[in-house]
Amino acid sequence: MKKILIVDDEEVIRILYAEELEEEGYEIVTTGSGHGLIEIIGREKPDLVVLDIKMAEHDGLDLLQDIRKDFYNIPVVLCSAYSSFKGDLKSIAADYYVVKSADLSELKQKIRMALEGHIPHQSTQE
Amino acid sequence: MHIEENPHDVQAADLIVGIPSYNEADLISFPTQKASEGLVKYFGSKNSVIINCDNDSKDGTREAFMNTPTEVPKIYLSTPPGVTGKGNNFKNLFRKSCDLGAQAIVVVDADLKSITPRWIKNLGEPLFEDFGFVAPLYVRHKYDGTITNNIAYPMTRALYGRRVRQPIGGDFGFSGELAEIYLSHENWTPAIAAFGIDIWMSTIAMCHGKSICQSYMGRPKVHKPKDPGESLGPMFVQVVGTIFDMMIDGCAFWKEVRWSKPTAIFGFGLGEMEMPPPVDVNIERLYDKFQAGFADYGSFWKEALSANLSKKLSEVKELPLAGFEFPANLWAEMLVDFAVAYKNCKNGKKKLMESIIPLYFGRTCSYVIESEPMTIQQAEELIEDQCGVFEYSKSYLLNRWFE
Repeated sequence: MKKILIVDDEEVIRILYAEELEEEGYEIVTTGSGHGLIEIIGREKPDLVVLDIKMAEHDGLDLLQDIRKDFYNIPVVLCSAYSSFKGDLKSIAADYYVVKSADLSELKQKIRMALEGHIPHQSTQE
Repeated sequence: MHIEENPHDVQAADLIVGIPSYNEADLISFPTQKASEGLVKYFGSKNSVIINCDNDSKDGTREAFMNTPTEVPKIYLSTPPGVTGKGNNFKNLFRKSCDLGAQAIVVVDADLKSITPRWIKNLGEPLFEDFGFVAPLYVRHKYDGTITNNIAYPMTRALYGRRVRQPIGGDFGFSGELAEIYLSHENWTPAIAAFGIDIWMSTIAMCHGKSICQSYMGRPKVHKPKDPGESLGPMFVQVVGTIFDMMIDGCAFWKEVRWSKPTAIFGFGLGEMEMPPPVDVNIERLYDKFQAGFADYGSFWKEALSANLSKKLSEVKELPLAGFEFPANLWAEMLVDFAVAYKNCKNGKKKLMESIIPLYFGRTCSYVIESEPMTIQQAEELIEDQCGVFEYSKSYLLNRWFE
């Protein structure tokens, strides 16, 4: 079972995502802030992170850079209520980004794609 | 065989900045100066050299380069008289890099007007960490780089699974180890010897599993931009032909790739992005050249394209300029059909490639119309959406390629 870490400072969002994604067959862990996020990822070893951008105490785009420093290969799906964050070039370090909506079908689709993504390690052109 | 001028008798270097050129006497001094400043400021402890790899330009490029005052020694390399091609310049650079034992090589275009010393830092520094290939990230005008936006970026991303926004950007960094790999490669085609070199280098780095990062340059790429409908020249055929050639060589690799992954990013914190100067595009000319293609290449297209795509194309033909639209999914699947036709083509590959150009004009015309009211950032999102369309068309590619 694939494990997903949800990082969002709104409890209602964490509950909503957890319920919907558990129904899809994922194991869910959640955290309400970016405090100790790198340690949490190291401990929980999630297969994917769903990361909110605008949190009360943290900027998700900065957290994304921190994640990328230590966990380059972990897929990250950015979520935000505002589409303007796409204008920040930092967001390209994410695998996918979605604008928050009551309909979670796009989020589920992007999670599926991020988990399915595959690049062979070894060249066959050698 | 090559011509070399090495007045400082440089025999070893840790870091090289290479500047390929052909008749760039008016512009080459500026990037040469900035390269020297960057090497001194950010890599003072390294043994560095700046190499101009030229095509025996007759306009005084060599003199302009060698007479540019720099603190870093310079070497002038040239292909023999009559031998042109950017790729041939790079081959000389690969060879010289290996001879000098360089750990890292940075290349920048000779016509760059916006390069700063920091570009050298950002393209070079990751090579002394864990990265084998560094591609640039800069803001370009939404109409600049239309081959990149509509072909090179979405195709390499869908094929090889790496999101390298500027795979033919012209400004790169690569490790000495990768230079050896480039030099040892046997599938050196006339297209790679010319403008196919950039996409070839990027793709080799991806297929050899080299760690890749993209670096923020902090300033837009300002060079000699061209209206895409004005002077495409042989560049289109060489770049797209190289992509198709590499699809044939690398199908065992790309058939295993699913979706795409972001790269590591280097050079955050450069502040506000400066906006690039405008690029003028004549959409009437793009539209007319698209329409003219039906008379010139209609029979070619019928052979290369599936019946379904031919039918859709004939529908696009009927659209007036005012409501013109060449959909991204049609474009993506057409490129698949042309790649398959190229693979199966025994004779006449050049004409097949040339026949794609009017369709490219049609797609570019549609892109310009659609992005006209958009900001550069909104146009970027449009390109990202198009990349998604190309990734979804991978299943169509797999079916057509292996049928």
